[in-house]
Amino acid sequence: SNSSILDDPDLKDIDPTVLKHCHAAAATCILEAGKQNADISAISTCLEDCKLDRERIEQFCTEYQRRELVTVVSFSIGRSPLHITDVSWRLEYQIKNNQLHKTYQPSYLVTLNVENSDSGSHPDVSFSCTMEQLQDLVGKLKDAAKSLERATQM
Amino acid sequence: MLLVLSAEHRAHLGCLPRAGGAAVGELGRLALEQLRRGAAPRACETAARKLNIGVDTIQHGVEGLVYLLTESSKLMISEVDFQDSIHVLGFSDELNKSLLQLYLDNRKEIRSILGELAPRLPSYHSLEWRLDVQLASRSLRQQIKPAVTMKLHLNQNEDQTAQVLQTDPATLLHLIQQLEQALGEMKMNHCRRIVRNMK
Repeated sequence: SNSSILDDPDLKDIDPTVLKHCHAAAATCILEAGKQNADISAISTCLEDCKLDRERIEQFCTEYQRRELVTVVSFSIGRSPLHITDVSWRLEYQIKNNQLHKTYQPSYLVTLNVENSDSGSHPDVSFSCTMEQLQDLVGKLKDAAKSLERATQM
Repeated sequence: MLLVLSAEHRAHLGCLPRAGGAAVGELGRLALEQLRRGAAPRACETAARKLNIGVDTIQHGVEGLVYLLTESSKLMISEVDFQDSIHVLGFSDELNKSLLQLYLDNRKEIRSILGELAPRLPSYHSLEWRLDVQLASRSLRQQIKPAVTMKLHLNQNEDQTAQVLQTDPATLLHLIQQLEQALGEMKMNHCRRIVRNMK
């Protein structure tokens, strides 16, 4: 982050504005290279076009190769629908309510824990269902899983 | 279990023997319509004219019957208990038999109407799913990221809502495993014992 490079004792003699520009340029270069999955020769060519000398290009590329983190971070940036992370369930047996006694019915309460790609948290999606409805839901999820398995074997 | 009838309730039902045999059938029909669709003062007036009885008597009779039927259906009282409950009203055998028949014929329907009044959470309706593979995004090219996109349809108080959700293959398998465990619980001895003993 900005505060750490400006506080670095080795860099204190350099004009802070220049330092920030260099930092931003290097970061952009790394992100673009990661985004495009560029190999070392592509990066070198690009830096040559920017009139960097041989020594600096080699240093940059060596450092770049040691960092695998870029791809992982870029992987998770971006919009997507609410993402399910976990599920919890509750089985209850209804006996009566104030309108109707002797109802005697099992029912499930299912809660899907979801995450928003932007803010990270989101109210969970909860719903009740009968045993038959839960069987329907599980059946459909299993169809999706089977379809995934077949797709990975293609 | 016996039904406890209050004095006011008994007074309302007390007008039934005065109304006569044919009238009881008509009042029964009005009571059921009121349960299905709500109060209908016009229908009561028509019935009053047809049977040559005061409108107030008709209304009280209908209200009395509605209460009798809903309470009996709510508690699901047995035939014997129903007969014993209305015995205190001192009606003729014929009237008692008509009331019992009215109760038995309609209690299933009345219970399902009462069932809709209970508090409810959004309930499951259906699920649609789709297999996606993300190939690229603004921040990263050349990806292969499989995902399952789903549309969960829920019912909430007569509205249907649809929610779009997504999950990755590992979580999908985890969801299936957890929910299958949930389904298996009903078959366990513990649940079976409770269900058997609750009836």
